[in-house]
Amino acid sequence: MLKYIVRRLLGIIPILIVISIFIFLFVHLIPGDPARLVAGQDATAQDVAAVRKSLGLDKPLIQQYFTFINHILHGNLGTSLKTKQPVTNMIAQRFMPTLWLSLLSIVWAVIAGLLVGVISATKRNKWQDFTGMAAAVSGISLPSFWLGLMVMQLFSVKLGWLPTGGLESWKSYILPSLTLGLGIAAVIARFTRSSLMEVLKEDYVRTSRAKGLWERKVIWDHALKNALIPVVTMTGLQFGFLLGGSVVVETVFSWPGLGRLMIDSIAFRDYPVIQAEMLLFSLEFLLINLIVDVLYGILNPQIRYN
Amino acid sequence: MKKSLFGLMAILLVLMLALAGCSSKSTNAGSTGTGGGSSGSSAKKVTKNNKDITIGVSDNFVSLDPHDTNDTLSFSAEKTMYEGLVGFDKDMKIVPVLAKSYSANANATEFTFKLKKGIKFQDGTPFNAEAVKANIDRLADPNSKLKRHSLFAMVKETKVVDDYTVKVILSQPFGAMINNFAHPAAMMISPTALKKYGNDIAKHPVGTGPYKFAEWVPGDHLKVVKNPDYWQKGKPKLDSITFKPTPEDGSRIAMLQTGEADMIYPVPTEQAKSVNGKNGISVVAKPSIIVRYLSMNVNKKPFNNVKVRQAINYAINKDAFIKVVMNGYADPMKSVIAPNTQFYSEQQPYTFNLAKAKELLKEAGYPNGFTTTLWGSNTSASTKAMEFIQQQLAQVNIKVNVVPMESGTMSDKIWGVQDPKKAQIEMYYGGWSPSTGDADWGIRPLLSGDSFPPSSYNTAYYKNDQVDSLIQDALKTADPTKRKAAYDQMQKIIWNDAPWAALDVDDTIYATHDYLKGAYLLPDGSLDVTNAEIQQ
Repeated sequence: MLKYIVRRLLGIIPILIVISIFIFLFVHLIPGDPARLVAGQDATAQDVAAVRKSLGLDKPLIQQYFTFINHILHGNLGTSLKTKQPVTNMIAQRFMPTLWLSLLSIVWAVIAGLLVGVISATKRNKWQDFTGMAAAVSGISLPSFWLGLMVMQLFSVKLGWLPTGGLESWKSYILPSLTLGLGIAAVIARFTRSSLMEVLKEDYVRTSRAKGLWERKVIWDHALKNALIPVVTMTGLQFGFLLGGSVVVETVFSWPGLGRLMIDSIAFRDYPVIQAEMLLFSLEFLLINLIVDVLYGILNPQIRYN
Repeated sequence: MKKSLFGLMAILLVLMLALAGCSSKSTNAGSTGTGGGSSGSSAKKVTKNNKDITIGVSDNFVSLDPHDTNDTLSFSAEKTMYEGLVGFDKDMKIVPVLAKSYSANANATEFTFKLKKGIKFQDGTPFNAEAVKANIDRLADPNSKLKRHSLFAMVKETKVVDDYTVKVILSQPFGAMINNFAHPAAMMISPTALKKYGNDIAKHPVGTGPYKFAEWVPGDHLKVVKNPDYWQKGKPKLDSITFKPTPEDGSRIAMLQTGEADMIYPVPTEQAKSVNGKNGISVVAKPSIIVRYLSMNVNKKPFNNVKVRQAINYAINKDAFIKVVMNGYADPMKSVIAPNTQFYSEQQPYTFNLAKAKELLKEAGYPNGFTTTLWGSNTSASTKAMEFIQQQLAQVNIKVNVVPMESGTMSDKIWGVQDPKKAQIEMYYGGWSPSTGDADWGIRPLLSGDSFPPSSYNTAYYKNDQVDSLIQDALKTADPTKRKAAYDQMQKIIWNDAPWAALDVDDTIYATHDYLKGAYLLPDGSLDVTNAEIQQ
């Protein structure tokens, strides 16, 4: 297993190189002249040209790419065009708030989603199932933007229990993680339900029931473990998206995270920040993928790694 | 185990129901046009027992170096910590701040400032002529690559006459120079701090202002605290000010309702009425210097015909525009600049008159109208404005294709054009705020013959030799009467040529709790809190 993990980690490097080329080209293909945006509304054409030169944007694309890669290899993600701060610092400041928010959201979403899913599957076509699935469908269809404003109206403005936004204490985490997690919890509930219902039809479930095992043990120990594989894949993906910056929720709750940084950077054509964030998101996705694969092996030892 | 499962389920369900209950109410409110804020009427009135205030703003701060700032929001924060030689009062009139008095020579090439004595920067550095020279030299040096270099590019030399007298000599006459000094970009930074931090001063601001820098967490908040050694006795009256960037309009309003914010700006016009007067909150709207206009490419058919341009001016009902698009928070434009801009002169408005518009179109040879394209930004406010124009012009058979564009795309389409003849632009919906408060910056970048894209913002490609020479006349002198005469004539000519359909002058809108007095927005949209205090 360890060997497998190390090999997979090494395998990430060439993928990242390819990704870096795509990111670089993609970023430079977005229309809009960063030099003009940096120079500002009042700038003259000469000012814009001077800014373009100082940013190295007048050089050929290929040369710009090699400068970019060269800097990355030296651990330098560049300097933000907008704030003139090192990109590494900007991302470092924003990384932890997004990580904690994502973790919290995914944890409660997994717990709630699994519970609702298992109950729905075992109480199929009963009121528990209908309520659970109705809640899940609404959870999927509620736009998080709207949901965020609604929980804010309820818990902050009307009841005065929780802050409307920002990041000051543990209380600040509650509303955004609730908003972020609801959709994911709903998806997990649906996945768990259908996957578990499939597994419950399998022979080995019938065998273990025939052996006289408690129903609870059949479901939680035998069936669910197998049913979880697609759920884990899906959760991994969702977590990747969350880490990639939950843009909408971060905007609604004025969260000092990566998603908002991304939006601000795109609006400003802040190339170095966009590139660095996209590289970071790609890396996160690759790592989460690896974790998901390792979890498969733990859930089902029949899956072997060579 | 089963029991605890059910417990959790029950909690989840209650939560869902609570949300559902909340939702139906708000959708109702939305459809009746009162906005999401209406449900806040049950919130308690917030009281204040300390002198620390929080201001909710719409965007992140970019920099705290005034010489290198080009967004009004960053200036708002900087103005709590820094001061200039001169500044703007409530109505954008120039008033002395760190300077006692100022004078200019007849042809506007030499400006002399007498400085106030006994003022210190927050780090203890004395404020004197040397300090002023250090600042102006930094701004005037093209190698410093500062965003506001352009305002001081014409400075040839800054001379220290004595400890408290400075003379700034320009390489060419520039009559609007005193306005550039009043611009927040010309605020004075401690020369000691400049030496110590260099361009990193953007993170370590040191000025002479009423508040000192405390901390800045980009994306989260910026805090400034009382400067106990401030030179104006009895000020400041607050202990600290925290700025919180809150991009989402609804969240910003919620922050105000809960009392997490004591003041917010801007307030979206759609929600202004629903929060005003409730729970001790007041919404304040005042005319700004921001103008909204529809420019027409005068190089292109049919806009090369002045009758067509005038017809379009007559065909748009500006009062309806203000009601529909700006929710009433604006005034009709009566010149190409706003009344709060210096040297404004009111013109005879093109009042809404469809018959006259049709007649003019007929005279111009377009009795059946024509088809054209209108560009503008893709924000919802701008799209709404463009659709309104589309509907208005349809009444005189002008078919308008509305093309909202993302800012980068738009900048490529408009400012990527090198040859004016190849410009594709036909009609453009835009806005402009002359940040120096002077007519020069309100007219020259938008309507002078030298300002065609990409060098500047003349999206109408309007060129009138008489206007161009009047612009130069007005710059060649610092004498206000001579400048006024030139700007009066210039505004009249442009108004009759009608390269724009002038639409409105926006209001600046902010909201505060009633206990907060003396904090207000200037017509340029920047904040002034130097006189702010808490009064229960």
